[in-house]
Parts: sequence; C-alpha cells; structure tokens
Amino acid sequence: MSGASELAAALAAERERYPLKAIRQQYGETLQRLAAAYPKLLVLTADLMHATGMEQFGRRFADRLINVGIAEQNMTGIAAGLSLAGRPVIVDGYAAFTTLRALEQAKIDAAYNATKIILTGQSAGLSYGVGGPTHQTYEDVAIMRAIPNMIVLVPADAAELDLCLDAAMASAAATPIYVRLGRGPEYLFSDPGGQFEIGQSIEVRAGNDVAIIANGPMVFEALLASDQLARRGVGARVINMHTVKPLDTVALRRAAGEVSAFVVVEEHNVFGGLGGAVTEALSEVRHGPIRLLGIRDSYPPIGPVFELRDALGLSAVHIVAEVESLLAATLERAG
Amino acid sequence: MAGVTAEPRLNMDVPLDPERLGAMVRQNRLDVTEMFMTAGNGHFGSCFSCTEIVTVLYFALLRLDPDRPDWADRDRFVFAKGHAAPTLYSALIRRGFFPAEWIEEYETKVGSRLMTHPSRRYQPGVDASTGALGHGLSVGVGMALAGRFDGRDYATYVLMGDGETNEGSVWEAAAAAAKFKLANLVGIIDRNRLSVDGWLADVMPMEPLGDKWRAFGWDVIEVDGHDIPALTEALRSKRGGEGPPTMVLADTLKGKGVSFMEDVRSWHADTVSAEQYALIRAELEAGA
Repeated sequence: MSGASELAAALAAERERYPLKAIRQQYGETLQRLAAAYPKLLVLTADLMHATGMEQFGRRFADRLINVGIAEQNMTGIAAGLSLAGRPVIVDGYAAFTTLRALEQAKIDAAYNATKIILTGQSAGLSYGVGGPTHQTYEDVAIMRAIPNMIVLVPADAAELDLCLDAAMASAAATPIYVRLGRGPEYLFSDPGGQFEIGQSIEVRAGNDVAIIANGPMVFEALLASDQLARRGVGARVINMHTVKPLDTVALRRAAGEVSAFVVVEEHNVFGGLGGAVTEALSEVRHGPIRLLGIRDSYPPIGPVFELRDALGLSAVHIVAEVESLLAATLERAG
Repeated sequence: MAGVTAEPRLNMDVPLDPERLGAMVRQNRLDVTEMFMTAGNGHFGSCFSCTEIVTVLYFALLRLDPDRPDWADRDRFVFAKGHAAPTLYSALIRRGFFPAEWIEEYETKVGSRLMTHPSRRYQPGVDASTGALGHGLSVGVGMALAGRFDGRDYATYVLMGDGETNEGSVWEAAAAAAKFKLANLVGIIDRNRLSVDGWLADVMPMEPLGDKWRAFGWDVIEVDGHDIPALTEALRSKRGGEGPPTMVLADTLKGKGVSFMEDVRSWHADTVSAEQYALIRAELEAGA
C-alpha cells in the first residue's frame, strides 16, 4: 500500500470513531431548551421553520415563533424593533439570506442600533453542497465581520452549537451576534459539557511545528489531520477559532512565537474570512508563513457535502499534504 | 444669523391647543432653518413638509417623559424618513430631551451630536437610528409586537416619505403588520409627491397609495398634513387590541411655509443665500 492510500485508509478509520449529528436537529433542540429557559425569548423565521429544524419548536412554542413569510429584510427589521423594546430575539434563517439579502438591516437596524439580536445563518459554507451558489454561502464571515459592533461566531459541531447559543444568550454586550451554522450531519467531537467563551479560542490539539487555525466543520478535519501528522512526526497544533470577531489575538500571538508556520482552514472564500482575520492579526508580529485553505474566489461546483469539500481541498487528507509541503518549503528557506 | 434661544421647558401635563401647536410649528421651522444655516445646507423641503405631523405628535399625542427617554411605557416614534432629522431634533429640543444649544453643533464638527440622520447613539429620545429608507416600518412592527407580547399599551408611530414607499421592504412590513393585527401601530406617509429626482409620479409612481394600503389590510385615513386639528384627530392611536393597523396619508407640500420653496423639487436639499435666509425667517415668523 502506498503512503497516500495508507493515509486515506487511516483517516477513513478515524472518521468511523466519531458519531454524526445534524446541525439543524441540534439547532431545533437547543432553541427549545433556550425557549424554556428564557420565557421572553422570541424566534423569527422567514418561512423556513421546516427547513431549519424548528417544527417541534413551532408545536411546543407556537406563540413564540413569529413567521414573517419570505421576507428577510422585514424579519431583521422586526427583530430590531423587538430587541429595542427589550425582547431577546433569535433570527432563524439561511446564511445566504440573513447576511446578504438583509445586510443593510443587519448593519443599521441590528448593529448600529446596538441591539442584542442573535442572527443565525444555516446552510453556510458548503453544507448545502447540492444547493449551488444561491444557497452555498462563502462570503458571509467577511461581510459580517466588517460591520462594526457585530460579533461573529462559527461553532464547530452540534455540541459546540449548543454551547455557543448559550453564550450568545448570556452575552451582556449591546451587540448583535451572527452565528454561522451548517445544515446536515457533521462529525461530533466537542465535549457537550465543555466551555465556550466568546472570543476565547480552544486548543483542540497541541503541537509546536505548525498551527492549524480552523472553525466550523473544518475543525474536525484539522484534528484528524493533526492526529495523522503526529504519527508522521509533525506536531500540529489545532486552534478552534470559533469566534472570528472579536478574534483571539492572544492565542495567535502566542502561536506565532512557537510554531514555524500556519495553515488556516475554513469553508469560506479565502478572501476576508477567518484567513483574513488571522493574517491581519499576525501582521503585527513576527511569524512564519501562512497558507490559507478555503474556496478560491470561485463558484464551486455542486455536490454532496463531504465529497465536495474533499474535491475543493477542504478535508483532512489535503490538510496533511498542505502542512507537509508548507513545512518542507519553510525548512528549505531556513536551511 | 439669529441666535438660538433656550426656552424654558414646556409643561406637557396638558397637550397644547391648536394655537400653541401653531406657534410650535413656527418654532420648529425656525429651528430647522438655524440648523441648516449652521451646516450651510439641508433638506429644507423634506423637513418643512412634515413639521405639522411631528409637532402634533410631540406636543399633543405622544406619551413621553423627557427625563426617562428609555421609559418602557413610552409611545414609540420611528422617524423612518431620517433625512428630515432636524424637524425631529427641534421637537426633541422643545420637548426637553436635549438642549437648544445642540443646534449650534449641527453637522459642524467631529463628534457633533446632531447629524444629517437621527441616531439613538447620540440623541436621547430617538427610538431607532434611521436614514436608510425602507427600514422604519419593519422596526415599528417589531416595537408594536413587543408591546403586545409585554402587555403594554404604548402606541408605535412610523413616519415615512411617499418616495420611501418605492422600497420593497416597506411592503413586506405592510403585509406583516396586517397579519399580526397591530392596532397599536400607526404609519404616517408624508405625501409631498416629490422625491430627490422629481415628481414621484414620474420617478416611480406609487399612487393610489390609499388603495394599496387598504388592499394590504390597513385602515387608511387621508388628511391635510398641514391642518393641525385634523392631524390631531387622524393621528390618535387605538393603542391596544387586535385589529387593522392605521395608515395616515398626510397630503403635504414640500418646503411648506416658505413661498419660494413650496412644491419645488430642488429644495429637497439645497444651500441658502443670506438674502434667502432673511426671507425664510420673515415668512416663517409671519406664517400662520
């Protein structure tokens, strides 16, 4: 067996060890828990209750789920009005519409007005791979983080989604929070009883040769890659950067002094997202080379999620290869 | 330029009668003129068309407490046509939310508390920051819904321009307000028939607005937007209960109160010469 097929086989075996859970299923469960815990919480949907995992919520909390029809601009505006009148509000929806269709409302009504709306964006990245570019969303992080007074969160899996929404609800800041979410089944590896602090990254794997910065489902791919790299003698630190804004610059600066190279992996255009945020932060300190993995400013083909990610170089096997080539190039330069 | 006088705060225990409302209307247009002279230019036309509407709301109808701008039971007012902010600023000043001295810093320096469009960050009494057209009615729907959920009997008012109804989001909000039976919501359209580029009938016709709002399930009241007693009656909110929201279509003249500005497109926003300034003040001071 060649080295490449050995690696592929090892990764496939590793994947088997982790369960899958659908993001929208977790979202529906978490929102029901939050509705019970926060009696004043209202949720707005734009005719997507049945697509975002909210059917059961709709039955249990019919009077707390406000359906505004297919009108996302109006939805964010109404959410702002509710929030300005003191109501906690979660806006349900797809990332494409929450961040693009209703962008001006997100800026003016939600962020400039200093509301505390939680804006959720499902089916982000490639998670609705067969949906095509109308529904795949790979510009939302860049756009939302450019809005002043907007927090941007990208939880890694179902368990972290649950923790992340708890933190968002508990946030005292007069700041809307954009929560970028996937859609269908994703590998589950986070500790459901773990910590989630906005702005505080999580070191998922230790290592001092290279740092892999990732968020969303790319954290799982990064940790699989790190485990294989360890067997090949490479220490790959994996940082789950679930908060893109405010960015954990402390962890990045620390890593800059300890590793010789960085790889950033995200399900987003390589322009302006997590890669942009990380390079901006690292530009202020001495650091090794940075390689950005993401969607290379193109409209990707359609395809089933995991195959599509793999075809675009956004899977563990590619991360391993990128890390090895980057380290080889770095050593060559140093040598 | 005439100095700005800081008048004593009005006792608002009793709403003003039509005569005193008329005086307040004159004061408002004078204040707006001072702000625009300070800045060098301004949206005269857009401000002067809605002066009576804003004055009637602030001095006859809105339940407010200037000492508690965040009072949970206050009536809400979303000034959706944000480019006419000075009209709102004057009302807030004369109602006691912030001092008349702020007029002197309108648009003049870094950190001015008064700018072209209203902001709840800097101006006490502003319920929502506006300026991007087509947002306000949705925000008002949210405020009215919150009032219903919280069992509060405050009224929510949203003032839009007629040109603003070009924005599709206005009609999303129109449908939603009717669906949610927001009897506590009053929309107002300052129907001055002009937008930046010309007559609305040419730029993008929206009439018959009355039929459109009725078709969306609203109660529609058409009123002379410069007739103080008629406006006072038309703008009274039903406050609570479930039922159709109300749309008040107020027929107005852009630039009302200054003969050479009335119904003239270019006065949507323009600069004023010293001679024109003297004329404006003379006409406004003599005005009915």
